[in-house]
Formats: sequence, C-alpha cells, structure tokens
Amino acid sequence: MSHPHTLSTQHTLTIQTRHEAVAVERLLQVTRYRGFTLAGLELKPLADVSGLLITLSVVSDKPISLLVNQLNKLYDVLNLELHQAEAGALRA
Amino acid sequence: MTGAELVVKLLTEHGVHSVFGYPGGAIMPIYDALYQSPVKHYLCRHEQGGGFSAIGYARASGQTGVCLATSGPGATNLITALADALLDSVPVVAITGQVSQAVAGTDAFQEVDVLGLSLTCTKHSFYVRAVADLADTLREAFALAQSGRPGPVLVDIPKDVQLAQVDYQPLHLTAASAAPELSHFAEQIASARTLLQQAAKPMAYIGGGVHMADALPELNAFLTATGMPSVTTLKAMGSVEKTNPLYLGMLGMHGTQAANIAVQQTDLLVCLGARFDDRVTGNLKKFAPEAKVIHIDIDPAEINKLRFADVAMLGDLKALLPAMTAAGNYADWQTHCATLKAQHGWRYDHPGERIYAPLLLKQLSERMPDNSVVSCDVGQHQMWVAQHMRFNSPRNHLSSGGLGTMGFGLPAAIGAKISRPQDTSVLVTGDGSFMMNVQELATIKRFRLPVKIVVIDNQRLGMVKQWQQLFFAGRYSETDLSDNPDFVSLAAAFAIPGHSISHKDEVESALDAMFSWPGPYLLHVRIDETDNVWPLVPPGAANHDMMTDLPQWEE
Ligand SMILES: Cc1ncc(C[n+]2csc(CCOP(=O)(O)OP(=O)(O)O)c2C)c(N)n1
Ligand SMILES: [Mg+2]
Repeated sequence: MSHPHTLSTQHTLTIQTRHEAVAVERLLQVTRYRGFTLAGLELKPLADVSGLLITLSVVSDKPISLLVNQLNKLYDVLNLELHQAEAGALRA
Repeated sequence: MTGAELVVKLLTEHGVHSVFGYPGGAIMPIYDALYQSPVKHYLCRHEQGGGFSAIGYARASGQTGVCLATSGPGATNLITALADALLDSVPVVAITGQVSQAVAGTDAFQEVDVLGLSLTCTKHSFYVRAVADLADTLREAFALAQSGRPGPVLVDIPKDVQLAQVDYQPLHLTAASAAPELSHFAEQIASARTLLQQAAKPMAYIGGGVHMADALPELNAFLTATGMPSVTTLKAMGSVEKTNPLYLGMLGMHGTQAANIAVQQTDLLVCLGARFDDRVTGNLKKFAPEAKVIHIDIDPAEINKLRFADVAMLGDLKALLPAMTAAGNYADWQTHCATLKAQHGWRYDHPGERIYAPLLLKQLSERMPDNSVVSCDVGQHQMWVAQHMRFNSPRNHLSSGGLGTMGFGLPAAIGAKISRPQDTSVLVTGDGSFMMNVQELATIKRFRLPVKIVVIDNQRLGMVKQWQQLFFAGRYSETDLSDNPDFVSLAAAFAIPGHSISHKDEVESALDAMFSWPGPYLLHVRIDETDNVWPLVPPGAANHDMMTDLPQWEE
C-alpha cells in the first residue's frame, strides 16, 4: 500500500447506552465519520435490560478526545469511559 | 384523545402557533387533528420548502421552527433542510408520519427508514413505538432542539400511534438544570484575563453562538470595555453595534481585507461561539499563526477540534464575557486596525451604465425599512449581501452558511415573514438558486405574504463560473443559464407584480416602487455575468493571500 505509515494508537472505550439498536448505529456512524477505524466491538444488555454495555475499540492517528467528545454528545450515550491507550504499536 | 390530537395539543403547549408542511397518507391523522385547530398550518409546495420555512421562522425569531411531512418521499424531501439546520445550529422540530407498525419493516408503500436517514442530519431523532411515550418524546424533542448547541430533532410517528387513544397529562414543571456556577471557571477566567492583559494585538472572532446565547449586550459591553477590535463570521453579521469603529467586518474566504489581514497579525484570538470553519480559516496551519487562543463555546466537541485553545471554557457566554473583561493597552493596535479599515473600504464607482450588484445591495440596505429581515440564497449574490448590506442583528440576516444550500432563500423569507409579520421580509436570490424552490411562490400567493424578492440575474451559476474562470482555465462547464425564464412573467403567474431593470439609473425608483407596494413584489435585476466576488482567498492559501480585482478603498 502506498499509505504513509502514520503511528496509530488503539483505544478502548466502555459505553453504556439506551437499549436501542439505533444507539449502536449512532456509535458506529460517528466513529466512521470522525475518522476512527473499528478494531473491536462487543455488546450485551445490562442486567436489568435498561440499556446496553458496549466495549468499543478504535484505531486512529487522531487524538481520541475528538471521538470521545462527539460520542459524549449522543443522546443515547449514558456513560462513557476511556481506558488506557495501548502504546503506539499499531501502524495504519 | 388520539395520538394525533395529542401532537397538536403538545404544539400549543410549546407556544407553537405556526407550522409548515405537506400532507400524505401516513400523516393524515395529524392533518385531521390540525383541521380547525388553533395551530396555523402553512401549506408549502415541497417539503424542502417547508423545512427551510421552519428554519427561516426559527432564525428570524429565536423560536423553534416546526415542519411536518408524510412518510417516504415526504420525509426524504425534508432531509436537506435538516442538514442545513444541523450545520447552522437552528432549533427545528420535524414531525414525520410513518407506516403503521403492523407493516413496518416489510417495504410497505411509502415506507423508508427515516430514523436511519436522520442519523447524520439531526441532533437527535426519535421513533415513537407507543402512544404512551408520545408526549414525553415530543417534550424531549423541543427541549433538545433548543438546549446547548441548538439543532434539528426529528420525531417519526407511526400511523397506529397517531390513531391510538391516550390521555393528555399537563406538563409537570421540573426545575431546569442550573448552568455551572461561574466559580467553576475561576481558573480559566483568571488565565483569560492574564492573556488579555499581556496581549498587544488581541482580536475577537465572533460566531453565531453569541447571539444564540442571547449574549449580544454582553458582547458589545466586552468589546467596548476591552477596546478590542473584532471580526465576525457569516452567521454573526449584525452582532457588533454599527457604531463600533474597530469592527472590521466578516473574515474568511470572501471577508474584508482589513479583517483577514488583522486576524493574521493578532497575538490573541478570542474565539466566541465560533468553530474555525474552513471557509473562515483558509489554510488552517497558516491561520492567525502568531496567536494564542481563548475559545468559549457551549459545545465541548468544538474545543480543540481544529485549533488548540490555550484557554477554553465550556459555558454560557452571557455570564463568562462580563467575568473575563479585563482592560489592556492596545492603543497602537487599535490605530493599526482603524487604518486597515480605512485603507480597505469598499469601492462603488464601477464604470459604465450597467448595474453593479454591490452598489445595488448597498442602496437596498439603505432604503429598506429598519429591522427588515434579509434572506439570501447561495452564490456570488450571497457574498455580496454579506459584504455590502448592514444588519443590526444576526436575526435580520438569514444565509445558509454551513451547508450553503441553494434554494434556501425563498422559503426562509416566507418563514421570516410569518414569524415577524410586523417587519419587512426581503429576499436576495440568484437566478440559479431561485429556481430551486420557486414553487414556494404559490405559498406566497395563497397567504398573501408581502415578501420583497430581488433576483440578481447574471444568467450564470455565477460562483461556480467564477471558480471555473480562476481555477479551471475558463472551461465553463454547465454554468450558463442564459435561457432563464422571464422572471417577471413567472411571478405574474402567481399574482405577484414585478419589474425588470438593467441600468444604474433605474435602481432607486425601482427599489422605492418595490417597498411602497403593499404586497409581494419581484424585482428582476439584470447584471453583467463578468462581475465577480472580491476579495477571494484561493483554496489552500493563507487568509492574507487574497486575490482582489478592484482595489477597495474608502467610500
Ligand atoms: C443545492 C446546491 N447545489 C449546488 C450548489 C453549488 N453552487 C454553489 S453557488 C452555485 C451557483 C449559484 O447560482 P446563482 O443562484 O445564480 O447565484 P450567483 O452565484 O450567480 O450569484 C452553485 C451551483 C449549492 N451550493 N447548492
Ligand atoms: Mg446567477
């Protein structure tokens, strides 16, 4: 590939959303549109089925705050935590 | 009552007296509830027109605009207006009818996944599954549209929910969540004041967020107390008092030379409710290269998105501006900015007998009644409106900024007239843009709306033609409109009188005739297709590298 080798970092977010399929669509749409590559996605309903617990891993050479700020604006996102970044080992 | 009747009840509860829309199968129960109801429905002739009228209504008045459409094609026709409202942060609630849940997901007649379509062009959207949720959902939609950074919210309501029975429960007022205390910002305010005191060449860069925070008095007090020069974005024109001698006009691609030069030289950029849009910054890396930045906004996602802020505050400008007011000593810089402004004034002595649009718009600006609302379309005429007309409030200048949508102007001018019936509504449109929602002349006719329409006709898609001339070797691909319709006859078909002019000496009497006529009126203004918009920051250039045609100097 002729892509320049930019140093990318993988980040993992745990996100609690309302229990709606569209909440997941919104997360993925924002992730794609803001230029982050999906590296992992797991989800399950919360014990009381009031919402979804989602683990989202993304890779990008952009600061993760750009994505976190946008995701936090989503009405469906009830809580969001950013976990320690895995050091810049990945190359995009 | 039915869900549909509840929708109308909720509209009244939110003080909505006027809505814009178009009926169809899946929204018939709501149209039935509107029949003989206290909410006045304005039938537009295309849902996009309804959406833009809701935007014009909202932007001219500060209230939330409401539009309605049926499922399928009705809803898809709304999409452009929703995207426009999203990019310009306009509070709009769109209500769409949807096929009944019994057939949902079966590719039923006029079924389209409206919730899916809305994801990228609304602040939020709802699909109402149960009539019991309808009231809360609509209340939430209005709250969301208006709160924080305003924006469009869509509520998709299946027909069975509209037909189901429900009781109306009046709203229990919950205490509004209080804005964070000023003490929360103590540290940032102190840092901002220090930066202001240390700066030698500060500049306020003012965006639409200031007037939307209802903070214009605080802004003008801040500018006066600090003595700081200022520039505005397209959306914020009219924010700074006309008497302020250090206001340099609009910055950016078609901004004034004084604004762009001074912003490039500033050592402290105070960004208030603005977002470093590419039409403002030109080459971002070269934008205001010496400046530290103070950025105040209500939207956390705008801070550090494009430009690092040395001091950032996420809060209410109304409270923060007075708190961070600190006087500095900027005498040399003030003199410099005043000199730039004097050196780079506009020039109106265009040779020849043909009409020069910048001069015509200046004359229009001087002759229109006080507090007129000017809507415009997109293209060269839009930039000329921003450059050569004067506004005393951003609510009096409706321009599609973020999305730059041709066809915005006519329906926006209709919405403006309906929200502010006592004020004059003027539309400045282009021969290309006008045709994109020309069907709305029928709305003007039906409701006898006295909108004053000025068509700036260069027989071209002028702005695209200008770029072809400058950057595509004069290859004029598909920008010739020399077979335009006869606009005066077109207006006449909608019982709108009009007049056509092409010479300078016809302008003043034509404007007077338009404004003295009590009803709607169309003034067709033929201009030279070779006139271009100057100055222009070419793509990729820094803002001080402006291309100019005529030198600009004092009037
Ligand atoms: C819906 C839409 N389609 C295409 C464009 C691209 N565009 C920008 S300005 C312009 C020309 C506008 O022509 P006109 O309304 O006559 O204005 P002028 O530039 O001639 O003053 C075009 C095609 C746009 N902004 N919006
Ligand atoms: Mg044109």
